[in-house]
Amino acid sequence: MHPTTEAELAQIIQDARAPLQITGGDTHRFGPAHGAALSTGGLDQISIYEPGALTLVAGAGTPLAQIEQMIAAEGQCLAFEPAHWGGILGRSGAPTLGGIIAGNISGPRRVIAGAARDCALGVRFVDGTGRILKNGGRVMKNVTGYDLVKLLAGSRGQLGVITEVALKLLPRPETTASLILRGLDVGQAIAAMSAALGTAFEVSAAAYLPDAGEVALRVEGFEASVVYRAQELRDLLGKTYADIDLIDDTASQDLWRGIRDVRPLMGLDGDLWRISVKPSDGIAVAAALKGAPYLMDWGGGLIWAVLPAGHDLRPALNGIDGHASLLRADDATFNALGALPPQNAVLAELTRGIAQKFDPKGLFQPQKAA
Amino acid sequence: MIPDQTRLAMTALTDLLGDRLSTGPSVLAIHGRDEAYSTPALPDAVAFPQDTAEVSAIMKICHQYNVPVVPFGIGTSLEGHVIPTHGGISIDTSRMTQILAIHESDLDAVVQPGVTRVALNTALRATGLMFTVDPGADATLGGMAATRASGTNTVRYGTMRDNVLALEVVLPDGTIIETGSRARKSSAGYDLTHLFVGSEGTLGIITKLTLRLFGQPEAISAATCAFPTVDDAVNTVILAIQSGIPMARIELLDDVQMKGMNLFNPDLNLPETPHLFLEFHGTSAGVKEQVDMFKSIATDFGVSDFQWASAAEDRNRLWQARHNAYYAAKALRPGCDGLVTDCCVPISALAECIAQTKDRIAASGLIAPILGHVGDGNFHLVVLVDPNAPDEIARAKALAADINHLALSFGGTISGEHGVGIGKKPYMAKEHGAAYALMSALKRAVDPKNIMNPGKIVD
Ligand SMILES: Cc1cc2nc3c(=O)[nH]c(=O)nc-3n(C[C@H](O)[C@H](O)[C@H](O)COP(=O)(O)OP(=O)(O)OC[C@H]3O[C@@H](n4cnc5c(N)ncnc54)[C@H](O)[C@@H]3O)c2cc1C
Repeated sequence: MHPTTEAELAQIIQDARAPLQITGGDTHRFGPAHGAALSTGGLDQISIYEPGALTLVAGAGTPLAQIEQMIAAEGQCLAFEPAHWGGILGRSGAPTLGGIIAGNISGPRRVIAGAARDCALGVRFVDGTGRILKNGGRVMKNVTGYDLVKLLAGSRGQLGVITEVALKLLPRPETTASLILRGLDVGQAIAAMSAALGTAFEVSAAAYLPDAGEVALRVEGFEASVVYRAQELRDLLGKTYADIDLIDDTASQDLWRGIRDVRPLMGLDGDLWRISVKPSDGIAVAAALKGAPYLMDWGGGLIWAVLPAGHDLRPALNGIDGHASLLRADDATFNALGALPPQNAVLAELTRGIAQKFDPKGLFQPQKAA
Repeated sequence: MIPDQTRLAMTALTDLLGDRLSTGPSVLAIHGRDEAYSTPALPDAVAFPQDTAEVSAIMKICHQYNVPVVPFGIGTSLEGHVIPTHGGISIDTSRMTQILAIHESDLDAVVQPGVTRVALNTALRATGLMFTVDPGADATLGGMAATRASGTNTVRYGTMRDNVLALEVVLPDGTIIETGSRARKSSAGYDLTHLFVGSEGTLGIITKLTLRLFGQPEAISAATCAFPTVDDAVNTVILAIQSGIPMARIELLDDVQMKGMNLFNPDLNLPETPHLFLEFHGTSAGVKEQVDMFKSIATDFGVSDFQWASAAEDRNRLWQARHNAYYAAKALRPGCDGLVTDCCVPISALAECIAQTKDRIAASGLIAPILGHVGDGNFHLVVLVDPNAPDEIARAKALAADINHLALSFGGTISGEHGVGIGKKPYMAKEHGAAYALMSALKRAVDPKNIMNPGKIVD
């Protein structure tokens, strides 16, 4: 089904009696496929773009690339640096705004600029009864009641179908530069990233590529300030780390686009895991991976890893605060392990109670594949 | 008259807490009002728990006897949030003031809810880290999370929405849950943390918070500067934000407010024309660059009288004065009450919205200084009223209503930071439409007996 208006979409949901599989650009999916596909691709209008207000309002099915191009022309950007997961997940299609917000998919700048959900100022959505609802708006702050925007953002389509999003934009950094620190093991890498993120030099991304033993650190902003901060950071880290290189704007942009889209792990066979921990636990996670290929972003707080198909990583991470999601696997593995870690009984009950209010017919709840 | 059920609960609570369950008249009175104008109502008793286990035990008792519970931080909220309109037990967190951990390398701190923002920053002094959310009052972190508070440097560092990483919450039936974790991208399920942030004590009691910290900038420079008109000041703000100057603070005070500032604090001695209070954070070179860019924008709008403060003491004095702005406004008319509006509009509509607001203040014949966190599009009027003049109160309420509708007409909101409580409830249906009913349904899902701060946000 491919509605082209919100009202049409609401009608489909009102009439629905069986689970629906909501899709945007079809670049990723949480768990196995289930139910009839309901695409938001027809809701693809950018209804308001006011560069002066640093806000944009667009339909959920609007291709991200279209938005990024439009705002780049005005010297603006999405602070959360949305990732394009299609490639690493082995799927075609291009990411849409709704999918990015429903999945809370944020890139490297997350460490300093917040997540996708932090840039969502408002949403319109259709709940499981077919009601059209809205929350938030185009303002930077809003404290009128429960934060449904945050609840919807990152809910993976389980509470309702997002039909429109109001986004906060930022002026695009004039330029960027990155430092590459070489020859580091994971412990040294996390120490270097923490040190860099804790400085006053406004490091806007910090990643570790274990195969190369490289830490990458990015600074962005006005030209003069970038030059100065990169140099200061280099001098500071140079006291501890011998091998440091500086790469320019173009090379730096390429590098971070690759890390954002998990390109270093592309083409590897196996299941793809995404692990969220506090940065200081990154070392423990690396140890638990026992040599499996991985990539670290967010100063060590986000770890992507490829493991042999069907292998359950979660027991090895027991005792580490955080969680591991399975992003790419076959249906049998998804069914056996679950895309998301199980919740404790109390939280599961609370979550069920909330979901019930949004989706009494259970149209959007995760199903197991047959 | 205390209802029988409440009496039974109070007996059980006294067994649990001893003299930390208080019914002293002055204690009840403190917990029956807030900092603004809402009509007071007394709780039947006030409980002073010391830890999460006690909060849970209190909730179990109140749940058993269906007794309303109102969480109480330090009572600085402005919309009647803490007023026990249905009686019952006020749960005061002032004995829960431990800072449980500061993790320097992960840039977070774990605290009990009664810790105030100033106390946390004092504890952070030796670390080179800072907690940034700073409402005018020295509020508790539990209260700030519950109201989703913001402050003068939200334009750069965000509100409580952005700075709470995880919570421990006691639910209405006494169950203890943890939402989120210290992992940055925390939630595996829905974002429950942010359901509780801003829930004004209506869904549960926050008993522990994990908060985000920032490194202190290498250089800080603060300033005040004067403008010929409010319009000039606002246009400067808009351009500064649009051109990407990473302002740490940018606050508007109009001419009327400046008069109050000088009255309240004669040492300040600033020209009584519209002002911006500013702060720049960054490296030494970066701050200089930001200042130069700002000056070149402001010059086009007739800026004058820059007064700089770089030493920590001088900056603190400046921001203390800003934080006392509410009391300074009240100094314009001793003995009055302040009715505070709180609208927030898209920044592109700010100049027009403030201009129309000024016209309406003039038409009302009331004194109402304007001040606000204009970098976020958020501004307040402090409408000064004689609490004994019903006609004036009615006019002030009409003015506030007018401004609220004005904000909505600009695509804005009736509350950028103070919240709903009782005062803003009448506007909720207009702002949210059908989603307001969904909010009520959510409240019932989490609190089926409606004992958590009943009557606030939703019915
Ligand atoms: C002079 C002045 C200036 C102000 N400036 C600002 C400002 O700039 N920005 C801003 O956002 N606000 C401002 N405020 C409003 C106020 O300071 C904030 O709302 C603050 O967050 C309230 O904190 P508190 O500790 O006083 O909470 P309280 O007033 O005690 O409680 C507020 C609400 O939170 C609930 N609550 C309290 N503790 C908990 C808990 N542990 N768990 C669950 N619920 C709880 C209460 O039930 C109540 O609904 C100002 C107020 C004053 C008087």
